[in-house]
Amino acid sequence: MDRTLLYGVVALYVLAVAGLGYYAYRRTNSDKDYLIAGGNVHPVLMALAYGSTFISTSAIVGFGGTAAMFGMSLLWLTVANIFVGIFLAFVLFGKRTLVVGRNLDAKTFPELLGRRYNSSFIQRYTAAVVAVAMPLYAAAVMIGASRFLEQTLHINYQVAVWVFALFVAAYVMTGGLKGVVYTDALQGGIMFIGMVTLLILTYTKLGGPLTAHQSLTQLASQVPASLAQKGHQGWTQMPVFLSEYWWVVVSTLVLGVGIGVLAQPQLIVRYLTVKSPRELNRAVGVGGVFILAMTGVAFAVGALTNVYFSQTVGQISLAAAVDPVTKAPNVDRIIPLYINLAMPQWFTYLFMLTLLSAAMSTLSGQFHVIGTSLSRDLYVGGRNGSAAQSLMINRLGLVAALVITVWLSFKLPLGIIAVATAIFFGVCAASFLPAYVAALYWTRATTAGAVASMVVGSITSLFLLAFVYVKGSASLGISQAIFNKPALFAFPWTVIDPIVIALPLSAFTMVAVSLLTEPVEQALLRRCFLGRIAAPAGTASVEAE
Amino acid sequence: MLGIPDPQIWLAYLLSILSAGLCVVYGIAKWNCDN
Repeated sequence: MDRTLLYGVVALYVLAVAGLGYYAYRRTNSDKDYLIAGGNVHPVLMALAYGSTFISTSAIVGFGGTAAMFGMSLLWLTVANIFVGIFLAFVLFGKRTLVVGRNLDAKTFPELLGRRYNSSFIQRYTAAVVAVAMPLYAAAVMIGASRFLEQTLHINYQVAVWVFALFVAAYVMTGGLKGVVYTDALQGGIMFIGMVTLLILTYTKLGGPLTAHQSLTQLASQVPASLAQKGHQGWTQMPVFLSEYWWVVVSTLVLGVGIGVLAQPQLIVRYLTVKSPRELNRAVGVGGVFILAMTGVAFAVGALTNVYFSQTVGQISLAAAVDPVTKAPNVDRIIPLYINLAMPQWFTYLFMLTLLSAAMSTLSGQFHVIGTSLSRDLYVGGRNGSAAQSLMINRLGLVAALVITVWLSFKLPLGIIAVATAIFFGVCAASFLPAYVAALYWTRATTAGAVASMVVGSITSLFLLAFVYVKGSASLGISQAIFNKPALFAFPWTVIDPIVIALPLSAFTMVAVSLLTEPVEQALLRRCFLGRIAAPAGTASVEAE
Repeated sequence: MLGIPDPQIWLAYLLSILSAGLCVVYGIAKWNCDN
């Protein structure tokens, strides 16, 4: 790599991001600007901001490497990412969130739930869960990005963490969500160009899509016995039905990540940044194509790296990407190794910017939400103050988010990245999704139902992560310390993602407790749902009164 | 199909592209729709 060119490219990128941060800072004068980017963001910018926040470095490098191991079965996650994470998210959740949020003048996700259920406890509980769980996820993103900077720019890890964190925090603190959205749009554009180029170069190198896929199919005989025992049948075949790998692919990767995305506060707040549902309709197409270019490309290319390594070094990707220190296969090394060996040098610069953009765009959204959860939802909790006071409190919340995340980045072991991400996805889905869906669509949902559902979802999810789901429990070590074994139950419980159990339980609790308790006041429902929104069940009678 | 023998995999490959297509078609069809 040409060091001068490398530093020049990074400097240009940093200048562009800083310029957009300054542009946002000049246009951030109120709570509304800081929290929801003024509420009039262009649909293309919103879609790119949503997509680039959704996709972190881990989605490209970590899950790309995972696709090199499991094969193209991970494309079901792409289907879920696009159909659930974009289409259903925007059409069923986004538009209604926007209208209910505007009716209730809510500017954060905890505030939306708190006002919908008329409960400051719900607002604070939601914010507390976000403030505890999201720094783990943010630290996971930051650890990955800082390790990447350490390797690429040859700077000390601790310096990389501070530089990365302070730079992202600076434009989030000054520009609020406008700073996040503007820089996300630039970063999303870079990511799109980078990933589409990666797909074209890969298929070209391997003789076109058909030849590449056929070559990958022919590698089935090279599946190691250790993987075959767990259900691996080749990189263009699903794992054996109900085998260990089938559960991992279907429950953890496709369901856990695919559904978990619906309840992520840093994504939900994006719906509130546009002017009307019409903008969300317009954003759907951009979002769908963007996610296809991200996870679709990462998973297809990840699987196809096996063909490249097989043809060049006579090994499958897992064997080629052995960690030099531990001598064990490391899926996180597969994509970087493939880029360095198989791609032209000019592309390595573009890919470096792609990864940097992916990390920064995700982290900026996380910082913003952790900060607003701590300040507006936990500290302020609905109390009124002047615009200047509110802005200052929000910015102080961001400083707290920065400090917590940096501290975790120094304390957490490297192996915690995937677990921290899983904890956040699982806890968010089980804690928030039923209460969130009911808030938008079910007028019979009660405050008690929402509280019970959120508490049951959080506790169940954390219990399963600590004592049952072995990937989480082995890393956390609590089960080992108390019961002297990594997980309490045997297969298949050890590989079933907590979301598969905790989410239905949380949803059942929501429905059961709501039906057993008094409905919420009609006046509140009228306030929530009046406007241009289509009537949810029960609202017609509310409006008729 | 597409050099992929398992229907569960080529279906995922096609559906990922079709899902993105659905998003584009929906976006265009509802371009001026405000609800």
